[in-house]
Amino acid sequence: MKLYDYVLSASCYKVRLMAALLGEKLSTEAVDFHPGRAHRSREFRALNPAGTLPVLVDGGLILTESTAMLVYLAQRAGKVWLGDGSPVQAAQVQQWLAFSARLGGSLGMARLHDMLLYAGDIDALRRAGVAALRELESHLTEARFDGRIFLTGTTPTIADIACFPNVALAPDGGVSLDDYPSIRLWSRAIRALPGFIEMPGIHRLHELKPAPEAVPPLEALL
Amino acid sequence: MWVANGLSQDLPSGVVMAGNWQGAELAIWRSVSGRLAAWGDRCPHRGMRLSHGFVRGETLSCIYHGWTYGSDGACSKIPAHPTMVPPAAIKAEVYQCVEADGVIWVGPAGPEADLPDLSGMVAVRSVSVLGDVAALTRALPGFVADGALWRGQVGGVSVSLVVQARGAGLGLHALCGAAAHRVAVSRWLDGVVQLVEQEALT
Amino acid sequence: MIPAAVLNEWYPVAMIAQLAAWPGRQTLLLGSEINVFRDAAGAVVVQGADGPLAVTLAYGHVWACPGVPAHPLFPIPEADQPGRRLVDCGVVRVKCSPLRAVENFLDIAHFPFVHTDVLGAEPHTEVGRYEVQIREDSDEVWATKVHFYQPQAAKSAAGGIVTEYMYRVAAPTASVLYKTCPNNADEWDVIAIFVQPLTEELCEVWPWMALFDDTTPQADLIQFQQMIFLQDRSILENQIPRLLPLDPGKEIPTQADLTSIAYRRWLKRKGLTYGAQMVAA
Repeated sequence: MKLYDYVLSASCYKVRLMAALLGEKLSTEAVDFHPGRAHRSREFRALNPAGTLPVLVDGGLILTESTAMLVYLAQRAGKVWLGDGSPVQAAQVQQWLAFSARLGGSLGMARLHDMLLYAGDIDALRRAGVAALRELESHLTEARFDGRIFLTGTTPTIADIACFPNVALAPDGGVSLDDYPSIRLWSRAIRALPGFIEMPGIHRLHELKPAPEAVPPLEALL
Repeated sequence: MWVANGLSQDLPSGVVMAGNWQGAELAIWRSVSGRLAAWGDRCPHRGMRLSHGFVRGETLSCIYHGWTYGSDGACSKIPAHPTMVPPAAIKAEVYQCVEADGVIWVGPAGPEADLPDLSGMVAVRSVSVLGDVAALTRALPGFVADGALWRGQVGGVSVSLVVQARGAGLGLHALCGAAAHRVAVSRWLDGVVQLVEQEALT
Repeated sequence: MIPAAVLNEWYPVAMIAQLAAWPGRQTLLLGSEINVFRDAAGAVVVQGADGPLAVTLAYGHVWACPGVPAHPLFPIPEADQPGRRLVDCGVVRVKCSPLRAVENFLDIAHFPFVHTDVLGAEPHTEVGRYEVQIREDSDEVWATKVHFYQPQAAKSAAGGIVTEYMYRVAAPTASVLYKTCPNNADEWDVIAIFVQPLTEELCEVWPWMALFDDTTPQADLIQFQQMIFLQDRSILENQIPRLLPLDPGKEIPTQADLTSIAYRRWLKRKGLTYGAQMVAA
């Protein structure tokens, strides 16, 4: 499986993260999104006419929507990440996959504005982002009352992976996460999952490793 | 004075979060053994926010260079110089921090300053709202304010809101009479936030 | 009032490869609006409110001086060395003092915590002794014999090695580093950041590289550098105060910070205080 990838893209990161959590090896090909705008080149549009990243290719299959890639990876890997299969949970997963698009259109765009100088009404983007964060916070708070930490239950699904990147990267777009305690704990729960990988803007939870033992001085290595 | 800075349930062991005491930005954290501390949100080395740091055991470390501080605020380790004992002058700015009835409080506060009695109440959640006390008053008719503590009834359920000045807005730390009502009170609080922000605009 | 010493320096304002006709790139330099564009004759113009600014084209970027240039733009001889690949990495905006962005570039002690498993990793956190000087002939800050253990020092590095660095502050908002080249033991890889001061608390950063690497695809080289710089961005946007304190007392340095100490001293001595805080608050 080959992922056409950009290291700073939240949507590409969703796919890299899902694959890492599943232990699935992806081969990645870096696309010069910034500054080269290679995703808009004629060559790249032959692969994906929309000119967007990521693109996942597996044999004859070409996927251009990150949520579809999450479904594909999870379905192949035994469906654990798709929920328990009940009508309620299947619908809830779809609900949050759709919600993740709102996060991309608000917090994600605010981030591209503040970081890579994309045009946009930054105040409106941030307002829409805060509204989405408040919805998410309310939902996760109610889930915690029931002892659930993830979006649809006590175990994570592709819905969590679809929503996590643009939420965790909100500060890149000038939207603080300080006011959302349930989002903080949800985010920590995701970052503590075995196999979790970071992207720039999301730091390692260093506390997951014990404080290091002493090593020989640097001089000894020279 | 004591300023409410969140709910105990939102700060489990091993977690650090941002706080605020009368405009001063704080890092509030709980050690692995459960010890609570509130410090100025600034590593003395390069000014990085300690609320972005990480908790290992009984210490908080800065995310930038890993400078590590013990519960008294004194720097105990500088990873760039592993064998050096850090000078005593390197110290985080320590605030008073206590918790009572599920609410985290930060001082300086005089010894005579009592915390409000919230015994018997169940923590619901903390929210922030862009608005001032005047807008909150208009949005909460029937609530009675005693200092930072606002009490009222919501659909027959007793609700306490501990109000915190936080940047350009307010933090509302909500508790209610029984765990069974938490969802209802949480949803009511979403409505309060919208109402206060509408009132703040008028 | 912006001091003349600040106005008379060179600042990066655009990538040459991205230049367009009027209005071109509309941006800020030291708080003033400028347009960077190619005129009808193909010449590069940096237009300010009071007329065109002095312009130099070098290292893939357009450099402008809002005052009277105190000296020519600093040299990077490696830019003309045969066999090197010159890589423009594009621009990233950061809500921080331009001086804090440069100081972070000079810092190695943060590698294990911010660039974890790439430029550094616990337990190898030690910064050994190194040499720092303000070179009077070139009027630059230099740090040499800087060593650090790195798990993956460059895109082309396969495993952990002790990397040697030299750091150089060549202009108030431009710094060049030289590091052990995994592909060529006799040469140094050259990596620079060119920082455009939009305001005292907002900057745009243009990483640039001159490498010996014939094999790694261009997109991989760019993304490696962007990954590293964007890991720093959330640090830079969360330092208090936002302005870089030049007077001792507000922040506590150690021996690992000798480059930063020299940089701050050099800025203060030259009156390059745009983005700096003079009195400890």
